[in-house]
Amino acid sequence: MTEYEAVIGLETHIQLNTKTKIFCSCKADSWADEPNTNICPVCCGLPGVLPVLNKAVVEKAVVLANAMHSEIQPLSYFDRKNYFYPDLPKGYQISQFDQSLGKGGYLDLPIPAANSFDKKAYIRRVSIWKLHIEEDAGKTKNAGNRRFIDFNRCGVPLVEMVTGPDLRTADEAAQYLIRLRQLLRWLGISEADMEKAHLRCDANVSIRVKGETVLNPKTEIKNVNSIEAVRDAIATEIDRQVREVEAGHRIEAWTLEWDEDTGSLKKMRSKETEADYRYFREPDLLPIRMTEEWKAKILAGFPELPLQRRARFVEQYGLPEYDADILTGERRLSDYYEEAVKDYGGDPKKVSNWLMNDVLRMINEQGLNPSEMKLTPQALASLLKLVDGGTINISTGKSLLQKVQDTGRTPEAIVSEEGLGKVSDDSAIRTVCEEVLTESPNEVASYKAGKVTLIGWFVGQVMKKMRGKADAAMARSILEELLK
Amino acid sequence: MDLCDLSALELSRLLGEKKTSAVEILESSLRRIGEVDGRPGSLNAGEITPNDRSRVHAMITLTEDLALEQAREVDRKLAAGEKVGPLAGVPFTVKDIFCVKDTPSTAGSRILANFVAPYTATPVERMVAAGALMIGKVNLDEFTYGSSTESSAFQPSTRNPWDTSRVPGGSSGGSTASVAAYEVPLSLGTDTAGSIRQPAAFCGVVGVKPTYGRVSRYGLIAFASSLDCPGPVSRTVTDAASMLQVIAGPDSHDATAATTPVSDYLSNLEMGVRGMRIGLSPDYFRITFPDGQGGFKEQELPAEIEKAVRHAADVLASMGAEIVEDVPMPNTRYGIPAYFVISRVEAASNLHRYDGVKYGLRTTQNYTDLKSMYKLTRNEGFGLQPKLRILMGMYVSAAQYSEQYYKRALRVRTLIRRDFEAAFDPAGNYRLDALLTPTTPTTAFEMDAVYGDSVLMQYADQLTVPANHAGVPGISLPGGLDSAQLPIGIQLLGADYSEDKLFRVARAYEMATESEDWRKVKPKVLR
Amino acid sequence: MSEQISVEIFDHLVDLAALELNAKQADYLRRQLNNQLASVRELEAVPLDEDIPISLHGVPYEVENSSAPREDEWIPCLDSKAILAQAPQVEDQYIVVPDIPHTTLK
Repeated sequence: MTEYEAVIGLETHIQLNTKTKIFCSCKADSWADEPNTNICPVCCGLPGVLPVLNKAVVEKAVVLANAMHSEIQPLSYFDRKNYFYPDLPKGYQISQFDQSLGKGGYLDLPIPAANSFDKKAYIRRVSIWKLHIEEDAGKTKNAGNRRFIDFNRCGVPLVEMVTGPDLRTADEAAQYLIRLRQLLRWLGISEADMEKAHLRCDANVSIRVKGETVLNPKTEIKNVNSIEAVRDAIATEIDRQVREVEAGHRIEAWTLEWDEDTGSLKKMRSKETEADYRYFREPDLLPIRMTEEWKAKILAGFPELPLQRRARFVEQYGLPEYDADILTGERRLSDYYEEAVKDYGGDPKKVSNWLMNDVLRMINEQGLNPSEMKLTPQALASLLKLVDGGTINISTGKSLLQKVQDTGRTPEAIVSEEGLGKVSDDSAIRTVCEEVLTESPNEVASYKAGKVTLIGWFVGQVMKKMRGKADAAMARSILEELLK
Repeated sequence: MDLCDLSALELSRLLGEKKTSAVEILESSLRRIGEVDGRPGSLNAGEITPNDRSRVHAMITLTEDLALEQAREVDRKLAAGEKVGPLAGVPFTVKDIFCVKDTPSTAGSRILANFVAPYTATPVERMVAAGALMIGKVNLDEFTYGSSTESSAFQPSTRNPWDTSRVPGGSSGGSTASVAAYEVPLSLGTDTAGSIRQPAAFCGVVGVKPTYGRVSRYGLIAFASSLDCPGPVSRTVTDAASMLQVIAGPDSHDATAATTPVSDYLSNLEMGVRGMRIGLSPDYFRITFPDGQGGFKEQELPAEIEKAVRHAADVLASMGAEIVEDVPMPNTRYGIPAYFVISRVEAASNLHRYDGVKYGLRTTQNYTDLKSMYKLTRNEGFGLQPKLRILMGMYVSAAQYSEQYYKRALRVRTLIRRDFEAAFDPAGNYRLDALLTPTTPTTAFEMDAVYGDSVLMQYADQLTVPANHAGVPGISLPGGLDSAQLPIGIQLLGADYSEDKLFRVARAYEMATESEDWRKVKPKVLR
Repeated sequence: MSEQISVEIFDHLVDLAALELNAKQADYLRRQLNNQLASVRELEAVPLDEDIPISLHGVPYEVENSSAPREDEWIPCLDSKAILAQAPQVEDQYIVVPDIPHTTLK
């Protein structure tokens, strides 16, 4: 049987999280607004209006271009892409065609072992072919045999980023989107929520016999709005193409739409997809002049990127890849971690354990923002030190986390006020130990008959009586002594 | 003498001296419109009657209520001793290619006949802020596509006040006719290839195409965005200068509105031309056009027109200007062919938005799907001229032809620009302050004589279009009458942002010819 | 004439332009187009050196006369109702258009 491989390129549209639209002063985010209320003459393409470029759009796009190792052009131009569509009010989209803001670039994509064919992790370098600024169109929704148009989204700033045909599996495509989403949030330039269409993806898919280097005719899948859907749509399309080729049919350059409800692909009428966009320079806008000075200002304070930080966490803190990956999943979390490690001064892995097991659960369950928690990295560090120093035991420590978060008081203050310090007074513990042994003659007999593992049970009883405050190690040694 | 026969400057003076009121001025203008304008243009005009043939028909929409409100406000301010703007109480008309809030803004097209703009164009807003009274919106070629105003969907189209069997020129024909017929002293027009200067010449008034980007285009329904320039129409140079002073300058709604400071057009207006260098070019005394057999024909201009220009040069020379002969402007002849390409590409794109979805006409015929709705709407809504421009624009910008036509035309545009740069270069061979040329190859032609021949019609702009390609400013001035008693226009062209100099030269010429006989002749509709 | 817009090319342009012409209009417009192209042909004879750039606007935009991009500040537009009021068909605040047909793949 012939073995095929897929050749996949992704066109992503990224909504930048500016306050306002790209060419007018309407809000960029109108997710919660009534239809056609966040509109003005400019974004509705009324006769006579003109676009005026939003500075923040350029700045955010430059940040992204820099992160993608794209060459930022000193002079870039806007062009008109002409086509008719009801959600495109001017009948053309203002985009950048042949001299766009970013030139080239790449993303090194780590593919985890779990997503690889041969179960070995590897790096896929995905080249960036295009990186440019453009305006978003409005939204259409089907209503029987009609369409309803909402222009609220019209003119929201987008960066279109097109990869080379470098991805080979539906899983790789999904990984690319996961990493891109992480990066966008990390840089603070997009909310990157696919459900809200902040991040959209069209996939170009073709197949070829494995080992060949030709590029066969491709289909373009549009309207995929979750990472799972991208994976499913591409996988479905790869299967379809293999079936077609096996049946001796040619793949035609169709445009397909993914219908998430039925999990099927629909073909758009070829007539609508036949396009000559007749690009030409947008006469209503001046070119973007990216001076060295402006660029330096934008890129001052450019952050360490997630994949770099992930590698550094492994190297510097000796964390397992798994920990490093989770801790760098989100920028504020990873900043939190590093601050806590710094303040704590002890074993970074220990901080990681507390963070990943307990603090992260609080964050997720309660929807907290790591940079605004009352349980600050400093508080976590002092809490860990209290545990290390024997002032409190681990379980007290864990219950303290929520208390600090709720009250905003320091762990030390709470411990001393609530008398949560470990009881390490020998005589107090000894009294309770004696009580426990007297109350449990059967267990004492079993222990003495050789079932020494019962020691844990005795310690537990002591802790229970002392509501967890006893120094467990001390209780254990007293019990062992009494049981001799 | 009625108030409406006065210039904006004279009206301001009278108002300042409290010898009249803004409401009286407005009433005078409205009376004049009532006397000479005839019925306004409309979509279903029916038969053109002999009475129609004797009227001007500048108007599409009279905005007298709005103007009255503005006039009362001016009078209230004057009575209260409050400060008023520089054009307070001066009536003006607006070419119906500008959006004005709550008024029909039709572009002379069926497709926008029912469009009521929800916002106001910057130049109109500035006129109103300066106290001027917007009295109405005037006719034009559909979407400004023409040189005779005949292509408007709103008929009867405007006629030339000097001879109502002739066209007023275009596309700002309604603007220039309303000023020439003394309905108003000022009008706001637009010039993409000569659309202010050519009808100004035909109607014997002053028309200014400012430097590209000097006046904001916000609210101007776009034709060719890289060429369109809003500008003043008036009867005197001083009025044009005052009006440009009001409307020029940067605008936060137009990225192409230049931030270069606006010169003071008025202080030095009457400083004369002593020492200024004024050029004449042989390339502006002949035109080249297709002969219909696949070749090109070169033709000298009518002697009367050349004579008027040479006379103007003599007048300026007698006032101390230095006349520089034989300035080469070799790429002038490519202005129209390059324009056929560039303007059409931009126009086709600018007309994409008229699709029956958001505003304007949607077909009332049955449609089966989106595409058929588009087609029926655009077919009903656009006249022949927009259709022609769309098709041409589509053809020459198609991927396979773009290099051959569009890119080539843009490079030829550079050559045309270089002609001007060489002529005005202060360190060059010619060091001109202004180039003096005829505005048009002919005086006003008969209605229906050229209409229908889109090529010949376009060549009416041959002497004006190079300034649009180059972006430089130009003024057309009344320069006498021909043997048929029709106005002849002379044109002054200058370097970027040199409107102040052009006004100075124009005003010098105007003062020097004040007592010439032709200045006393009034348009036929007023005789 | 070397370049003629044939009936086929013309019909394609008409379709791309979302127009629909009757025979008389089509004939007139095609003739006018070809006449205009004859004029445009004059450009082919213009000697153009390789280094002649294109002009986007006649007036060059340098730093001195160019406006800066605008600040990212929200200015609510109060006229959304007036804008919507211009639309030929509106329902539940949506602008309504006819459907665009699709076919489902097996």
